[in-house]
Amino acid sequence: MQANPVQLSVRNVRKSFHGKAGEIRVLDDLSFGINERDFVSIIGPSGCGKTTIFNIIAGLIEPDSGSMHYRGEEIESLRGRVGYMMQKDLLFPWRTVLGNVLLGLETRGLDRVEAEGKAREYLTGFGLSGFENAYPKTLSGGMRQRVALIRTLIMDPDILLLDEPFSALDYQTRLYLEGVLKDAVETYNKTVILVTHDIDEAVALSKRVVVLSGRPARVKTVHDIDIRAPSPIAARSDGRFSGYFHSLCAELDIQTEKTA
Amino acid sequence: MRRDRRRLTFDTTLGRAMLQVAAVVAFFALWETGVRMGWISAFLVGSPAGIFSFGYKMILSGDLLSDTWYTLFEAILGFIIGTIFGSLLGLALWYSVFVARLVEPFIVAINSVPKIALAPIVVLWFGTGLVSKVALSVSLTAIVALIAAYQAAKDADVDLQSLLISMGADKHQVFFKAVVPSTLPSIIATFRINVGFGLVGAVVGEFISSQRGLGHLIYTASSLYDLNTVWVGLFTLMIMGFVLYYVIDIIERTSLPWKQSNTTHQVQV
Repeated sequence: MQANPVQLSVRNVRKSFHGKAGEIRVLDDLSFGINERDFVSIIGPSGCGKTTIFNIIAGLIEPDSGSMHYRGEEIESLRGRVGYMMQKDLLFPWRTVLGNVLLGLETRGLDRVEAEGKAREYLTGFGLSGFENAYPKTLSGGMRQRVALIRTLIMDPDILLLDEPFSALDYQTRLYLEGVLKDAVETYNKTVILVTHDIDEAVALSKRVVVLSGRPARVKTVHDIDIRAPSPIAARSDGRFSGYFHSLCAELDIQTEKTA
Repeated sequence: MRRDRRRLTFDTTLGRAMLQVAAVVAFFALWETGVRMGWISAFLVGSPAGIFSFGYKMILSGDLLSDTWYTLFEAILGFIIGTIFGSLLGLALWYSVFVARLVEPFIVAINSVPKIALAPIVVLWFGTGLVSKVALSVSLTAIVALIAAYQAAKDADVDLQSLLISMGADKHQVFFKAVVPSTLPSIIATFRINVGFGLVGAVVGEFISSQRGLGHLIYTASSLYDLNTVWVGLFTLMIMGFVLYYVIDIIERTSLPWKQSNTTHQVQV
């Protein structure tokens, strides 16, 4: 439905881990494509290997076989070019808010003054000015995750990998941060892959939802979400929302019955 | 009314200090009375009056101060060298899992030797002067720092390291930005133990062979049954350890501002 070209394609990726019970096949011949400026949610039964996909894209683990192509070129991984955000905010406790936001820019060796200016700009933009010198432990869960989001965005990553980033937060904070995320993604023209177990969140945020089967993970179906709402909250009151929601639920239910 | 309520409790800084001083005074008064009444032998345990007069003389002559400085210098030098050397070695083991696994049993073996037992050879190797005491302190403190640093480096949060790697960090950046800072609390926690071990090394080294220091003072006095002088040495060591403890406490509290909680909260049962 969309004319955007493919930005990242994952082809025939396989990955097994060696556990006590022998070899566990986590990913088996997994292929999918992510378009430019896409917002794709990946949902599936828990433990089906969603985090493994991210770790492979981010270059934290190597696949057994398969390949990845970025804008047509074959790549090993997107290490250094992804913005990885996890359920845990992973703020460095010994760094202040400013220090945490600067982490990625420091890693790249960016000029300190320039980096700080940019960081302060982002912090102000996300309503966190005044907290530059606060340590993470003094912040609320929502604020911490907002700092983590800024730390991710300021790197100007090619693709954002969000691994259940809001699942540890209370519902109101989650709704609020979904809105912050959606705005940020539109402002900075980012491509997002979101792993979530929250179907509601997937439908409200995404352009497409990929449903994975249980382990070993394969792409079961891909749903285009044709809601063009100004915010995730508005999306929830769209007439088609509950239709998408129920068809995705049904899809997951069948899958859980099979694997159970 | 409020003043009345305050008068009832000693649970204030001043109140506690008064009780503590009172306990010390009572202890010495009881001791002195016991000696004077002939209940306990002044020859075997000394007497507070004797301790104070000996101590006063030794302070005036400058001997006590010079011995104190000497022992303190040995202990702190040993502590600093041992802690830095041990911590660096322990952190360095993070770089190679292969080397770490290779040397682990050797570290355990070295650690299982009571380092005090090394004192005679350390004196043989490094002579009867300052170096042998410092070396003994180093041998005691380095292994503690090494094990703490190595363990903390192994336990450093893998997710923080993964995050850095996903940002494109290399091994050195992961080491300096994630591993080293996360080991600092453990390394600083060893200061408290190690400053004591530094003193142990210095004093035991002086016992074996020396011309100066509080260990020398205690050892020679006790072989002459001069119990009052022994006590002067022991109380001086106690005061030294006490001061060092609070110095370490201040270092602990000021060096890791991110660790500090805003409230000191204890559940009242």
